[in-house]
Amino acid sequence: MTDTKSDILQGTLDLMVLKTLDAMGPLHGYGIARRIEQVSDDVLQLNQGTIYASLLRLQQRRWISASWGTSENNRRAKYYALTKAGRKQLAAEANKWERMAGVIGRLLRLAESR
Amino acid sequence: MKTRLLVLLSRVQAALSGRRADADLNQEIDAHLTMLADENIRRGMTPDEALRQARLRFGGVAQLEESQREQRGFPRLEGILRDVRYALRVLRKSPGFTLVAVLTLAVGIGATTTMFGVARAVLLRPLPYHEPNRLVRIFETNPLKRWTRTAAAPANFADWQKQNTVFAELAAYSGTNDQGEAQINLFLTGQGEPQRLKALSVSGNLLRVLGAQPWLGRTFTDEETFEGPGRVVIISYGLWQSLFAGDPGIVGRTVQLSGRNVDVVGVMPPGFFFPGRDVQLWIPFAYKPTVFVQARRPHWLNVIARLRPGVSLEQAQQDMKTIAGRLEQMYPDTNTKMGVRLEGFHDSLALTSRAPLLMLLSAVGFLFLIVCVNLANLQLGRAAGRTREMAVRQALGASRGRLIRQLLTEGLVLSVLGGAAGLALAAAGRAALLQLAPSALPIFADLRLDRTVVIFNVALAMLAPIVFGLAPAVSASRADTLNDRSESTSTGSRTMLVACEVALSTVLVIGAGLLVRSLIRLQNVDPGFNRENAVTFNLALPGARYPEDANVVRAVQEIERRIREQSGVQAVGAASTLALRGFTWTGDATVEGRSADDYERELRHESITPDYFRAMGTRLIAGRFLTEFDGAPRNTVTVVNESLAKKYFRGADALGKRITFGRPTDKDPWVTIVGVVADMKQDRLDAAVQPEVFVPLADNTQNGITFVVRAVGSTDAVLAAARARVREVDKDLVLTDVTTLGELVQASVGDQRFRTSLLSGFAAVALFLAALGIYGVLAYFVTQRRRELGIRLALGAPPAGLFRMVVRQGMRPVLAGSLVGLAGAYAVTGLMTTLLFGIQPLDPTTYAVTAAVLGAVALCACAVPASRATHVDPLIALREE
Repeated sequence: MTDTKSDILQGTLDLMVLKTLDAMGPLHGYGIARRIEQVSDDVLQLNQGTIYASLLRLQQRRWISASWGTSENNRRAKYYALTKAGRKQLAAEANKWERMAGVIGRLLRLAESR
Repeated sequence: MKTRLLVLLSRVQAALSGRRADADLNQEIDAHLTMLADENIRRGMTPDEALRQARLRFGGVAQLEESQREQRGFPRLEGILRDVRYALRVLRKSPGFTLVAVLTLAVGIGATTTMFGVARAVLLRPLPYHEPNRLVRIFETNPLKRWTRTAAAPANFADWQKQNTVFAELAAYSGTNDQGEAQINLFLTGQGEPQRLKALSVSGNLLRVLGAQPWLGRTFTDEETFEGPGRVVIISYGLWQSLFAGDPGIVGRTVQLSGRNVDVVGVMPPGFFFPGRDVQLWIPFAYKPTVFVQARRPHWLNVIARLRPGVSLEQAQQDMKTIAGRLEQMYPDTNTKMGVRLEGFHDSLALTSRAPLLMLLSAVGFLFLIVCVNLANLQLGRAAGRTREMAVRQALGASRGRLIRQLLTEGLVLSVLGGAAGLALAAAGRAALLQLAPSALPIFADLRLDRTVVIFNVALAMLAPIVFGLAPAVSASRADTLNDRSESTSTGSRTMLVACEVALSTVLVIGAGLLVRSLIRLQNVDPGFNRENAVTFNLALPGARYPEDANVVRAVQEIERRIREQSGVQAVGAASTLALRGFTWTGDATVEGRSADDYERELRHESITPDYFRAMGTRLIAGRFLTEFDGAPRNTVTVVNESLAKKYFRGADALGKRITFGRPTDKDPWVTIVGVVADMKQDRLDAAVQPEVFVPLADNTQNGITFVVRAVGSTDAVLAAARARVREVDKDLVLTDVTTLGELVQASVGDQRFRTSLLSGFAAVALFLAALGIYGVLAYFVTQRRRELGIRLALGAPPAGLFRMVVRQGMRPVLAGSLVGLAGAYAVTGLMTTLLFGIQPLDPTTYAVTAAVLGAVALCACAVPASRATHVDPLIALREE
C-alpha cells in the first residue's frame, strides 16, 4: 500500500480528525496529524498540511472550535476542540461508517466463502 | 441546508475579517513546522536537515495558503473588490483627472439618458389602452384639395362603420388641434368664479373602442352619440379630485357647464387620458342622427378604429379604399377623389415628433461617442505617465491580462460614478424639459424616469468603459520594458483620437448651425401682421345666453367699444379665427366668369370686425378695409388676401371682381372684392399662405371669437383693462388663450426652437470636449519635448518659430478631423432636410462658419501649450534630466 497518502477520502480524514479530538481532547494541528499517523501505525503517511483543509472545513461547519494556546514545549499553537454539534456529528458519522464497514466486510466474506 | 448556511456565514465572516486569517494561518503553519523540526532534531538530525525534512513532510505551504484562501472567503469577489479599492486609491491620487472624467461622463450619459427618456415616452411606451397596437386612425385624403391627413365627414364615417369588414369597431372624436391639444373650452358655472375646462366631444362608443373601463359610474351608450333629452358628461380622475374634492356621490350629480345642466355619469380611472393629458371631460357629440346620414362636409371627425384580430393595416387600407371608391361613385358632388389613409394610432400621434426626436437622439449618440473618445484620450495620456508603474507591476509577476483587468476596473469605477451623476442629471434634465418646453413635447407623452430608462442608464455606464477603456488599457499594459517606446505610439493614437473628436464635433456643429440658421430664417418670416404692441384673447359666448347671431354681434361690438375707450388703445378688432393657430373655416366658392364645374371646394374664410386689420397691423395692398356699414342687412362686399388675388386673377386687378360663397349651381348672391390685404400666415410660419376671404362678422357669425387689442403700455395693464371691460358686459365670460401677437409667433416656432437649442447645447459641449482633447494632447507634447524646446531656445531659436511649430503640431489632427467631419456632415445632414427651413442641407455659409468656429476654438486650445513652449527655461529643462 504505497499510495495511502492520496487514498484518504475527504470524509474519512474529517472523521479521523473528529475522533482524534474526541479521544484526546483539545489538540493542535501537529498533534492531530501525529496522532493519526501513530494510531495507524504509520500506515497512513499524511502530507501533514492537508490536515488544515479538513480543520477549516470542520470549523466552517461549527463542528470544532479553535483558539490559540501554548503547547507542552512552550510554543504558541492553535488548539482545536470538539463542539457539541461536532460530538453529535461524530456519533452519526461513526455509526454510518460502522454500518458501511459491516456491509463491506460481509460482502468480502461472502465472496471468500464461495 | 443548515450546514450550508453555516459555511456561507463563515465565508462572509472571513471575507470581512480581511487579512487577519492569512496571518493566523501563517503563524499556525510556522508553529507546526517548528514542532515537526523539533521532533526531527530529537531523532538526531541536524537543525537544517530537520527543517528541510519538516517542510517535505508538511507539503507545499504556498498551495495550502492559496487553497485555504479559496476555501475561506469569496476569492473572485475579493479580487474584484481589491481591484476596485485599488482603482479608487489611484483615482483619488489624481483628483483633477477624476473630476474631469466623471463630469464628462456624467454629461454624456446624462444627456443620452434624458433623450432616451423622451424618445421612450413619445415613441416607445405603449399607450394605456387595451391592445394599443390594434388601434388605427383613419384620415380622408384628396389630391384636389391637397389633403393628405384630413378629418372625416360624419356621413362618410357612418358609411365606413356600416360597410367595413376589417374593424371590430370605429369611433370618432373632435375638438383637438394638429398637436392633439384639446380645443373645446367649457365653463363650469353656477359655483363662484367660472372655471375653464378642456373638453373633448366623442362618439358614444369611443371608450369601448379604447377598451377603457370607468373608475366610477358608466361610459356612454351608443344612443348618447345622438341628440337626446338628457345631457351627460364623463370626467377625468384629476378633475374629480381637484374640482369635486373626490366627492363619492359625484355620479348622478348635475353640474352646470357653460350655462347648461349636465349629469355626471362616470369618472375615468387615474392615469387614463385621451387623446392628450389635458382633456378634463368627455361629452358625447349629441348631434341629430341625420348629420351622420347627410353631412359629407365639412370634415371634422377624428376617426379611431380597432382592427379585428388577424387583420393587418394593409388589409384594412385595401378594404377602406374599396369603400371610399364606392362612396366616390355614389356622391360625386362631395366625394370626388376622396380617399382614405390609415395610420397606427400611436404613430399618428407621434408623427411630427418622430423626425426631430430621432435627429436629437443621434446627436446625443454622437455626443456620447465624443465623451468616450475624450476619455480614451485622457486615459492614454495617463497611461503614458504610468508606464513605469505598469512595467514594475509586470516585473513583479502581474500578467498582462491582470493589468488590463485592473485598468478596465478603473474605467468602470469612473463610469459608475459618471453614470450615477448622469442619472441625477437626467432627472434634472427631465424637470427642466417639463418646465421649459412642455409644448414642444407631444401632449400624450409621459416623461418618466422609469425602470427601462434607468436600465438604459446603467447599460450606458457599463458600455462606456469598454468603448473608452479597452484601447488605452491594452496599450498601457504593453509597457513591458522600462524604455519609453510606448509613449510615442500613445501620442500617435492620441492624435488619432483628437481627429475623431474633431470630426464628430464638426458634424454636430454643422447640424446645429443648420438648425440655427433655419430658425433665424423662420423668425424673420413676415407673418403678415405687426407682432409688436398687441394682445389677443378668446371669448366663447355661451349659446344658452346668446342664442341668436345678433346677440353675439351686439356683445362683440359692445366689448370692442368699451375697450377702444381705454387710454392707450389704438385699435380693437375681432375675428372668427386667428393667424398661426392652424384652425380655419372653409367652404365652396365660385369666381365670376369661370366655367360651371370650375369652383373652389375649400376656400378659407374668416369673419371679422371692421377694425380687425388695423388691430393686427396688416397692410392694405389695394382698395379699402371693411367698414361698420358693410354686412348689414345683406353683405355685398369682401376683402381678400394677396394669395387669392394672385391665384384667381393672375395679377390682374382683383378689385371689383365678384365671387359667390357657393357652387355655381347654388345661385348664391355675388359679393364684390373691395380690398386686398397682405398675406397673414395661417397655419405655420413655414407653410405657404392659402387664398382666403374676409367677410363681416355680422354676415357670417361664428361663436368663439378672438379679440386683438393694439395698445401702447404694459401687456398686463392692457389685459387687466380688457378683462374688466369684458366683465362689465357679461360677468360670466372668461378670457382664454390670452397672449401677445409676439408670443403667438414665438409659440408657433416652439418646436423648432426647442430642437435648435438642444442640438446647439450638444454641439457646444462637443466643441468644448474637442478643445479639451486638443489641449490635453498638445500640453503633453510640450511637456515631453521640454528638453528639446529648451535646447532650441538656448541655441537661439526665435520663440515665435517654436510657437508656430507647436501650433502646427496641434492643428494637424484638427485639420484632418474637420475634413472628415465636413465629409461626414455632407453625408448625414441630407437626412435633416425636413427639419430645415429656407436653407439647403449643404448650406455653404453654415459649413464655412463651422469650419471657422472650429478653427478658432482649436487655435485657442493650441495657444496655451504653445505659449508655454516658448517660455521653457533651458536651464531648468536640462537640469530635470
